[in-house]
Amino acid sequence: MGSDFYQISILPYSGIIIKICRAYTNCQEDFEDYYQEVCLQIWRSKDNFNQQSKWSTWIYRISLNVCLTHLKKSKSGITDISSDALPDEVIDDSKAFISDDINQLYNAIKHLSEIDRALILLYLEEKTYAEIAEITGTNTNNIGVRVKRIKERLLRHIKPQGVKDE
Amino acid sequence: MNKSIESMWKEGFINEPNLSVPKVNALYNRKSQNIVDKLQSMFALNIKALIIGCIIMMIMMSLIGAPFLGLYICCLLIPLVIIAKKELTKSTALSKGQSSYDYLVNFDHWLKSSISTYAVYYRFFYPLLFIGMVTQALVSKAGGQVIAFILKLFPTDIVLLGVPYYLIVILTILFLVIIKYSDALYRLDLNIVYGHQFKKLDELLADMKTLRG
Repeated sequence: MGSDFYQISILPYSGIIIKICRAYTNCQEDFEDYYQEVCLQIWRSKDNFNQQSKWSTWIYRISLNVCLTHLKKSKSGITDISSDALPDEVIDDSKAFISDDINQLYNAIKHLSEIDRALILLYLEEKTYAEIAEITGTNTNNIGVRVKRIKERLLRHIKPQGVKDE
Repeated sequence: MNKSIESMWKEGFINEPNLSVPKVNALYNRKSQNIVDKLQSMFALNIKALIIGCIIMMIMMSLIGAPFLGLYICCLLIPLVIIAKKELTKSTALSKGQSSYDYLVNFDHWLKSSISTYAVYYRFFYPLLFIGMVTQALVSKAGGQVIAFILKLFPTDIVLLGVPYYLIVILTILFLVIIKYSDALYRLDLNIVYGHQFKKLDELLADMKTLRG
């Protein structure tokens, strides 16, 4: 990978990649693997970028697609759930961030299914429903309802520690 | 403190020092973990293993006095090399820059088409391999001795090309069983290795389809 390409086209957007990769990994080693894999795939796919969408949207897409089809098994054994119920057992994630709020949020996000993680991350990144639909290839109408349910699940998970419903 | 999820996210990331990027180095030396890349590398490795297998098979069979069987097995393996190369080329055409749904759908299509292509070939491969091995066994010196011994134990006048009828019946039944179960055998083998990942992919796609409404 060219150093210039990394410096100009990836590094300014590294926050996006970090936020997404953190949601799909449970330790620093896995996170670094995912991060590098996403960077490699962005570089490999750069010729396919047609400039119809924003470069950041492209980065979101590649990051999510890489994370969604990642092979590596979880080392801490987090169970993915599709239902509304959250498992009783709380998985204490490593303190990946300085902010306790962010660590709490990630801890809750990691209990969601892969697709729900993608949706809530894009929502928290202030993407519009149309943009979320574009990135994930889903229907705008269904996203609002789904995000609402995901937020409720996250709230139930974090509430004992003091979060208000908005 | 009472914060919304949105404000926790927004405020939490202000001045977050842990958004510093990991060191990116020796990228090509790191083993790729992605399913597509994993399968690509496995296909590539498979091609090499098949070519090496062909050569070893030829040498070994020649050494044990069955060069034609070695050549025959090579001829059976060559189409597998061609199929593997074609599948590898197809997989490299998959772009990760599509929407997640399109990407997963395309990936799933490629995976299923690839499995079907292999399954079709394995439907012929196992029975043909069986025929080759049986033929070699029957025409070999050791095979002749075994048949003579069997004929001594179970004598019969019905002998075709030096093989007693009941042995032909048994081999035919075995051949039919192999034809019937070669596809299942291939898929069973595939499921043991990749079953968990296939299930995960199916679940992801089902989830995405629900979202599409």
